[in-house]
Amino acid sequence: MALLEVDNISVHYGRIQAIHDMSLTVEEGEVVSLIGANGAGKTTTMRTLAGLLNLSAGKITFDGEDISRTKGHIRVVKGISLTPEGRGIFPAMTVMENLDMGAYALKDKSQMAADFDRVFDLFPRMKERRKQLGGTLSGGEQQMLAIGRALMAHPKVLLLDEPSMGLAPQFIRQIFSIIRQVNEQGTTVLLVEQNANQALATAHRAYVLETGRITHSGTGKELLANPAIKEAYLGAA
Amino acid sequence: MHTLLAAAADDQWITLDWASLGSTFWPSTFDGLTFGAIYALVALGYTLVYGVLNLMNFAHSEVFITGAYAVVFTLTSLGFGASPPNLSGPEIVLNLILAGLAGMAAAALVAFLLERIAYRPLRRRNAPRLVFLITAIGMSFVIQNLFFVWRGATAEPSVTMFQNKAVFDLGGNLIYMDTLIIVIAAIVMMVGVDQLIRRTRLGRGIRAVAQDPDTATLMGVNRERIIISTFVIGGVLAGAAALFYIMKVPSGAIYNGGFILGIKAFTAAVLGGIGNVRGALLGGLLLGVIGNYGQVLLGNGQWTDVVSFIVLVLVLMVRPEGILGSNLAKVRA
Repeated sequence: MALLEVDNISVHYGRIQAIHDMSLTVEEGEVVSLIGANGAGKTTTMRTLAGLLNLSAGKITFDGEDISRTKGHIRVVKGISLTPEGRGIFPAMTVMENLDMGAYALKDKSQMAADFDRVFDLFPRMKERRKQLGGTLSGGEQQMLAIGRALMAHPKVLLLDEPSMGLAPQFIRQIFSIIRQVNEQGTTVLLVEQNANQALATAHRAYVLETGRITHSGTGKELLANPAIKEAYLGAA
Repeated sequence: MHTLLAAAADDQWITLDWASLGSTFWPSTFDGLTFGAIYALVALGYTLVYGVLNLMNFAHSEVFITGAYAVVFTLTSLGFGASPPNLSGPEIVLNLILAGLAGMAAAALVAFLLERIAYRPLRRRNAPRLVFLITAIGMSFVIQNLFFVWRGATAEPSVTMFQNKAVFDLGGNLIYMDTLIIVIAAIVMMVGVDQLIRRTRLGRGIRAVAQDPDTATLMGVNRERIIISTFVIGGVLAGAAALFYIMKVPSGAIYNGGFILGIKAFTAAVLGGIGNVRGALLGGLLLGVIGNYGQVLLGNGQWTDVVSFIVLVLVLMVRPEGILGSNLAKVRA
């Protein structure tokens, strides 16, 4: 059974339907990418999976358990962590306090020191800046902090919403290399991106989302080679 | 109105009595600090709820007056009346603690019910901010008038807690027992709340929700629990404030008795910086002292509020975000 199973879900904002009968699965150990244009419903999907938005139809199963009605703050405990679009750094908390918030839901705090070390290993820059306020970090640093903070909760699946958005090219390469590293260390990743090239190259499998519907799916390589997707999402590559 | 017109006829309706202000400066200051400490405790209730909900909970003044009624009822049933009780010191302390606990419990209960009955259903329906505000004002009137129907238009018989006397002499100025108790207790409670916000898990949750409610949820913070906690903390502090208020104003338990005090406390919160715990203390003390100076200088109790609010407007013109400026979201550990 897949770690995360999304079965025919619909999501509405008031009367407007943003997601139509969407189904997707994420197997344990995978990196799965969801690509699509602005307004296709990528962020809505992620917020729904994290429990910030309610389903109007369908079912979400995580780790064998129906979590369709489970509240957002409980889903973290069950092992779903989202780094939201815009990163959601607490601006008036230091880097350390932000990381500390990542472990808010953990009952067992005995591993916290090791968790901090792990984050500082992945992101040495966070160690240098640990006493700095989150709001004073650069965009790339905030993204690192957001990923580090999500890892503090020991997620089984890490949801990343547009991690490369607004970042300089060297940060983008670094973020994707971190994503592969985190995945190799055993965390399953579901990734939403506009940067389709990088997202497909990094993913084991991927889905294409158009106006709230899944239109294509396949391995990263298959989708990279698909002429329709090349034209729509990968530029004149 | 009458005196005002008569005075105006003399072309003398504003006179600045600097001599009185000079001769009563220190007593006015201490008395102002005492009331300021009470404003500050009530102000915290406004500030905490504003921090997590961006809501001015105008019904908080009625949370306070509920506490005042509970304090008076408890003391009356313990045998207190208009003249000071014939009890030993420790007995009085015990009785005051009981009355304070009753005030805190009653105020916290009303704050809790207010959140559950009035605000939470609106949140579930994603009501716009204006609807919350109107509801807050409406609930303020509802609770006020429930007390009116139940207790009538007159104040409860006054209760005197102890024979007030000078405790020590500060450079020729006597410091009285009630001032000492109120200012010290209020500052201890404020420091407690400040530390709670900075150091505890609940405090981290409150700060996280104040800064970014969605991300707080993603961290595993139960937003609903944080919200109800801030209402209950605000209620407990208002209940303590009610004990001190009755200590100063023995006949203060009346159905609309929370209104002006609530506005003062709200003003204190804005003056210090809304959402800022230390700002509430500073704003409360300043407002208490400045109001008293105005009253002495201008020679009439009605001037207290005029001077207080003119100061508020002047401060906000220079510093729209209040004196300490920041909000709960910016509190650091």
